[in-house]
Amino acid sequence: MEASKIITSENFVSEQNSRRDFMKQTGAILGAAGIMSMVPMGTRAAAWAAGSDAPELKEVKVGFIPLTDCASLVIASVMKFDEKYGIKIVLSKEASWAGVRDKLANGELHAAHVLYGLVYGVHLGIGGQKKDMSVLMTLSNNGQAITLSSQLKDKGVTTGGALKKLVDAEKRDYTFAQTFPTGTHAMWLYYWLASHDINPLSDVKTITVPPPQMVANMRVGNMDGFCVGEPWNNRAIYDKVGFTAATTQDIWKDHPEKVLGCTAEFSQKYPNTSRALIMAVLEASKYIDEMSNRRKVAEIIADKSYVNCPLEVIDQRLEGKYEDGLGKKWNDPNYMKFYNDGAVNFPYLSDGMWFLTQHKRWGMLKEDPDYLAVAKKINQIDLYKQAASQVKVPVPKDVMRTSKLMDGTVWDGKDPKKYAASFKVRAS
Amino acid sequence: MKFRRYFGEHLFPPMLGAALFLVVWMILAQSSEALPGPMKTLDSAIALFSDPFYQKTPNDQGIGWNILNSLGRVGVGFGLAALIGIPLGFIVGRIQFIDKMTSPIISMLRPVSPLAWLPIGLLVFKAANPAAIWVIFISSIWPMIINTAMGVRQLPQDYMNVARVLNLSEWKIFTKILFPAVMPYMLTGIRLAVGTAWLVIVAAEMLTGGVGIGFWVWDEWNNLNVEHIIIAIFVVGIVGLLLEMLLVRIAKRFSY
Repeated sequence: MEASKIITSENFVSEQNSRRDFMKQTGAILGAAGIMSMVPMGTRAAAWAAGSDAPELKEVKVGFIPLTDCASLVIASVMKFDEKYGIKIVLSKEASWAGVRDKLANGELHAAHVLYGLVYGVHLGIGGQKKDMSVLMTLSNNGQAITLSSQLKDKGVTTGGALKKLVDAEKRDYTFAQTFPTGTHAMWLYYWLASHDINPLSDVKTITVPPPQMVANMRVGNMDGFCVGEPWNNRAIYDKVGFTAATTQDIWKDHPEKVLGCTAEFSQKYPNTSRALIMAVLEASKYIDEMSNRRKVAEIIADKSYVNCPLEVIDQRLEGKYEDGLGKKWNDPNYMKFYNDGAVNFPYLSDGMWFLTQHKRWGMLKEDPDYLAVAKKINQIDLYKQAASQVKVPVPKDVMRTSKLMDGTVWDGKDPKKYAASFKVRAS
Repeated sequence: MKFRRYFGEHLFPPMLGAALFLVVWMILAQSSEALPGPMKTLDSAIALFSDPFYQKTPNDQGIGWNILNSLGRVGVGFGLAALIGIPLGFIVGRIQFIDKMTSPIISMLRPVSPLAWLPIGLLVFKAANPAAIWVIFISSIWPMIINTAMGVRQLPQDYMNVARVLNLSEWKIFTKILFPAVMPYMLTGIRLAVGTAWLVIVAAEMLTGGVGIGFWVWDEWNNLNVEHIIIAIFVVGIVGLLLEMLLVRIAKRFSY
């Protein structure tokens, strides 16, 4: 019954077209074509808000974890892109991913900056109480990394291959950390270790701890490596406790990372608010991906209200200037991206399915789920397309994309069951 | 003369203690580059407390607001615990049957780490703030029940005999004998409870987030700002001390 209220993409487009026709006519009447290019966004937003599809909620409570990739939400709020679409984003800094999960489920947060894999885990009832979830859009690509400790460097370990040799030669407990069992960092860490023939479940110990604890433990020699988002990897170099062994863009170029997540209940009950949220964040994402704005973005998000971190720890990698802590410096073309002509933000079904294949690979899912059906249910392609067309963000034709990962395997979303079973290193 | 004696007996020992504490701290700070010394900490403390009540964004408020928010949570949780725990203590102490009935449950639940109750609170209340208050409630109720009950049990049998001879009503027994006699025990329970409550709120807020001294510490840890963490330790300690002193003062007024 809810479905009947939701505008389908067809009639939505026609409605929008008629609005555009109306605008054209008005423009013609005014006889000033120039005005169109000067005012379009604001007027269109006004028309949007005045129509029957005005956001149901004026205030949207959005949670975030203080990481560099929360930037698009912060910018949408600070630069007032939200007000343009008739909503006010109320940002709430959260203590941990488990906290974000609980507050989303409780309804204390409407939406949140959240790990892709976490949303899928909660939807299937792994890593939390089962609850139907939605992904409104992808927030960022790239920009996480795997840090290894300075102690390993002293032993001559600077690559995954050398790590494998050490793990084989010297038997002891090797401890690696990630941020949430079903989350993205766990999956990047596992994938990277497994690509070097190290089984993350049986050859080493992997634990879930908050980022500051990772750095603190690494300082006292209790942590061999971790995978986490920026600014923590740069921070480990800054504090001289570790070095960057691999960036996650090396594992998978333009990999999906954080998403704008909410409960299925929210996206069904408040489709207009969801669209307004997507539009505001899309515009912020565009703003951030103008490289000339990045310095300013770094200044804004480094503030105590947001990431609460020294500026110099954030701005380097946000601007694509990498240093690995071993003396190598480079300009990474695959730095943390927020927009990339809309390629970042489209919630590809294949992206979501990939996390399911890894959950299966590592034994978190006992049986193969209906990969495609789950991804279709979670990723709100229709909502996203409607919102994207409003703000003229290009939308890809295919809901799948093809990616080649570090070990040469290709993921295109076509045969997820076979893909999940194809890995040599896996949960026994 | 009088002052010298007072100084020697009451002021000198704590001052010496504080001075030694500072010296040890300085030595530790000298030998570790990550740990800031007393002067550096004092500098940031002055900066921090020069504007304790600013409100920049919901996620960035002065330390004063954070302390007040935490105190508010402690007040509610602790107040509810007193409201339920003290009468329960009287009943448990007065009626042997109920004592025997509840004592295994209380003995089992009392040593449970307060934070273990947080997920239960989240599940039941479906919100972070009530869950934090619930943790305060559950961790501060035990000392109140146990101490009140103990006070009731310790009541000399003679008092009760007198009451029986005078044929006092149960209400009179309560107000004229039980309550005054149990008061000191009850206040000990309350003091223990408020100590625990304040101890627990910092940990609970670290997990739930929101405005409060606990999440403030967490956020500063996220920033690896050690000076602010040390300041927070002092703030938590001093506020705890003040709460304790307040209750001692109340206790003194009621003791006979």
